[in-house]
Amino acid sequence: MSETHDHSHDHDHPTHTHDGKPIQEDPLPSLEAQILEASVRELLIEKGVISSDDVRRAIDQVESRTPALGAKIVARAWDDPAFKETLMSDSDEALMAFGIDMRPTELCVVENTDDVHNMVVCTLCSCYPRPVLGIPPAWYKRRDYRSRAVREPRAILREFGTDIPEQKQVRVHDSNADLRYLVLPQRPDGTEGWDQEKLARLVTRDAMIGVSDVLEPADIDD
Amino acid sequence: MRGPQDYGGMPAGPVDPEKHEHVPTHWEKTVDAMMMLLFDQRRRLARVDESRRMQEALGDDYHKYPYYERWLQAISWLMLEKGVYSQEELEAKKAEVRARLEAGSHGS
Repeated sequence: MSETHDHSHDHDHPTHTHDGKPIQEDPLPSLEAQILEASVRELLIEKGVISSDDVRRAIDQVESRTPALGAKIVARAWDDPAFKETLMSDSDEALMAFGIDMRPTELCVVENTDDVHNMVVCTLCSCYPRPVLGIPPAWYKRRDYRSRAVREPRAILREFGTDIPEQKQVRVHDSNADLRYLVLPQRPDGTEGWDQEKLARLVTRDAMIGVSDVLEPADIDD
Repeated sequence: MRGPQDYGGMPAGPVDPEKHEHVPTHWEKTVDAMMMLLFDQRRRLARVDESRRMQEALGDDYHKYPYYERWLQAISWLMLEKGVYSQEELEAKKAEVRARLEAGSHGS
């Protein structure tokens, strides 16, 4: 496994898995990694720890978790002050309304204001509020972002095209195994009277990580 | 002392938000799904800190492993440590899978 991954560009892998399911067009990892993955999965199945159905369902769940969930939560917080209060003080309770369970981790929602811009990193690994945002983007897991976010957040933000005025404080939240962060961006002007569904369309994944602003009303079609 | 994972505050290169995007592959999602199952309330066979401990035990190899291969290694070591399967069982299974994959790639 510590070898360099020369095999990763082989395309002579089987076209079907052992259960007859076609393999996607996705690139596969090294042969050694494929062998280890299949071995671990099959052993766990043989030992009765998991079943193939469990794996299929879990993959469906992985795929169903997208930033659209986080966007709905943000839109509701913008639109419904009582919900926002619950979200800020007892996020588990607020997320229950969306059928989202953060356990065994805890979600801390941090709110952007006129004076404070929040941004999230995990310097030690890739901790991320997966139940509300899905799998973290590749840059979030990379050394560059993890190293520099806590030292020069404004420079990183500029790389994302985000300029935060000097007089505004930038707060960087370093996630850990048990505690995950979601940024609650500021609701843009010009969205008075919008329903939650329309508001949610302004809320991007990157805005909820705090590396960019939400979209402007003019950016979305009616 | 800094472990191999402890990047905070270290010098590093620029972030390229577009280049550094990646759509997870089916294989990666399978590893993700396995970890999720082992973490869940029903099984409680692993926790995030345990997974991290195993990944950090890779030492300098930490940087060489692609992300989900690190996860996979952590899963396998944790299952060995917890006695879910033995090293012998793992080696036997790997030999079986290797033979199958190699037959598959050269056959048909």
